[in-house]
Amino acid sequence: MIEAGHFAAILALVFSAVQAFTGLRGNRGQSGLFAQLAFAAMVFAFFTLLWAFARSDFSVQLVAANSHTLKPFVYKLAGTWGNHEGSMALWCVVGLGFGAAGAWLLKSDRPVFEARALGVQGILSLSSLLYLLLASSPFTRLDPAPLQGQGLNPLLQDPALAIHPPMLYLGYVGYSFVFALAAAGLIEKRVDRQWAKTARPWALAAFVPLSLGIALGSYWAYYELGWGGWWFWDPVENASLMPWLIGAALMHSIIVTEKRGSFAAWTSLLAVLAFCFSLLGAFLVRSGVLTSVHAFAVDPLRGSFLLGGLLVLGGSALLLFALRAPKLKGGPDWLATSREGALMGNNLILTVATATVLLGTLFPLIAEAAGQTISVGEPYFNLTFTPIMALALLALPVVQAWAWGKADLSSLWKWAGGFAGLVALFWLAGIGPFDIPLMAGIGLALGVWLILGAGQEMWRRAKSLGRLPKMPLRVWGMTLAHAGLGLFVIGAVLQTSGRTQTTLALEAGESANIAGWTVTLEDVRSIEGPNWYADRAHLIATKPGTKAELNPQKRYYPAARMPTTETAIHKTGTADLYVALGDGRRAAGGPTRWTFEVFVNPLIDFIYVGVILIGLGGALAMFDRRGSGKVS
Amino acid sequence: MKLILASLLFLFAAEGQLADPDQEARAQDLMREIRCVACENEPISNSGSDIAADMRERVRTMIADGASDDEVRDWFSERYGEFVLFRPSSKGFDGLLLWGLPFILLVGGAALILAVRSRKASDANAIKPVPPEDV
Repeated sequence: MIEAGHFAAILALVFSAVQAFTGLRGNRGQSGLFAQLAFAAMVFAFFTLLWAFARSDFSVQLVAANSHTLKPFVYKLAGTWGNHEGSMALWCVVGLGFGAAGAWLLKSDRPVFEARALGVQGILSLSSLLYLLLASSPFTRLDPAPLQGQGLNPLLQDPALAIHPPMLYLGYVGYSFVFALAAAGLIEKRVDRQWAKTARPWALAAFVPLSLGIALGSYWAYYELGWGGWWFWDPVENASLMPWLIGAALMHSIIVTEKRGSFAAWTSLLAVLAFCFSLLGAFLVRSGVLTSVHAFAVDPLRGSFLLGGLLVLGGSALLLFALRAPKLKGGPDWLATSREGALMGNNLILTVATATVLLGTLFPLIAEAAGQTISVGEPYFNLTFTPIMALALLALPVVQAWAWGKADLSSLWKWAGGFAGLVALFWLAGIGPFDIPLMAGIGLALGVWLILGAGQEMWRRAKSLGRLPKMPLRVWGMTLAHAGLGLFVIGAVLQTSGRTQTTLALEAGESANIAGWTVTLEDVRSIEGPNWYADRAHLIATKPGTKAELNPQKRYYPAARMPTTETAIHKTGTADLYVALGDGRRAAGGPTRWTFEVFVNPLIDFIYVGVILIGLGGALAMFDRRGSGKVS
Repeated sequence: MKLILASLLFLFAAEGQLADPDQEARAQDLMREIRCVACENEPISNSGSDIAADMRERVRTMIADGASDDEVRDWFSERYGEFVLFRPSSKGFDGLLLWGLPFILLVGGAALILAVRSRKASDANAIKPVPPEDV
């Protein structure tokens, strides 16, 4: 069976080559056909892998190394992409899927452009399949087959993490099609309003799952790692943040190209860069150049393959860009204070923010090459990335009403007064009961500012349109996304400066106080699951009027020889009471004392709800009927 | 009586927090920027390992003895190397580059955009504003 899958993957490679060749020659029909054939072949190849995992066929090396008969069925399936080779197979499925979707959905009046886009996509598919088959083949047999597998990384046996990689890949690889569209537009010298109209839904189709994928990963880190936080500026997290930031810049810049025909070169550059950053992320995660909590499948040879691919693909796209960008036409003239200027500012901030993340991520590597070991972590990003992004958030509600070409600046002072009032309000509240530091007050004000601003802009547009139901979906999308950003900011600020953290050491029957809660340890018992055993603590937390039971566990997976933390979280609506069980220690002759990391995290759900709203907003904008077809 | 008992239990139970809340807050901030030397990419504030607990205690002792934040940082970086600080030093060319580049890029980029705009600037009165009909 797995040999059939291997053969199908080779077939997919051949079809992709034909797709690339016919596409670049401008044959829309043939290229589209082969894109779909390649996708079908790759789906079959992936299915044989899923089948091998479902049946725990340990004669397949990948299954033997990453699965186990005792593993729950759904995690056997998810194990298919919970390892390097399988996840590269998934990468190929998604990439070829985007090619097939493009062949099916692209219906402009420019068949040659479409053919070229499919051709470039074919080259990208071909490269990823070459990498899969030559450097990370999942189709290898093991002879003799072992009787039992070596298990899957227990950290990955989790519902959020089972769907986290597919989501992330829809985003990363989705940008490959945006890259293809940009390259085709540059080849044809037609990155214009019609091009932007065609490409915009695809940019959103990558951005939405990428947002949700990052949120899922962050939520997983929150409840699984037991560190109480939601973002650690870990290099692997940064690797996913960079394409997201560039994707966000692209989403705004492409609007200018669609509506005005301006920024054509810049938009196509961002479209190329979004995928380059996705590849860079893959390289950083897979090559082992980074130390990270979740760098997996580390292998220098694969790293050089990926780096080579990144340099060749990115380099040729940038060369194409350099040759063609000067020939692209611009739109009507605009002043710095205009909608164009505002969106240019948005793009400047987002790209500088990306550069900051890149610098902070790569700097330790560069320093290490020079013989120094340094760390760049949260304090660095809080003092660089955060204030730079804050500028964009501050400006957003003010500039979103600006007109194309030239803005009416007469109401600017009202906006300044409004924001100053908000900060003052939060600062005064800080002197009072809440005790908020000034910086946190500014942060909270920014979040509220964004939400009010999104509502205000909706109101303004509703007035000018007459009534709300006429509002285009993409305006709803923008409102939701900007309000979601506001919620996110509020959640992030509160989580950073308003959380309480304590390490407790308790023996059975003892109590401790944290942020108004009295936490009592009832007992700690040993329990057993299908492929793990654990210490499970039973705690009762009380607060006037509330009582909660918390059962954090420390699990041990013998097959992987690895402990994991199963945190217990009690949600009160306004905060999470979060408990992670540490080690038990027995003093000579005395009872065992257990350590607990206890956090009270106020409104942390705002962070996730905010990102979900951003994704939902993107989805609404993507499904706007007027998002496709010809320019009006 | 109950209150006294509760506070006694609290003293026992929580990991030796400092009595002065301001000092404790400073200590916790520092713990978030000092890297656990036995773990991967974790600050000592989060780590459950023994060495992280020792390092936390060290931070608290130094703060209680009146050390400044920088003195604590210096003590750790002398002992374990600069690697131990998540807030890298801003001294020297490297430090300036790391800390300054984001802001240089931002200001430089803005200046570049404005310069190109003013070079291209035609008559501002000739530009007719177009209201954004949808996004």
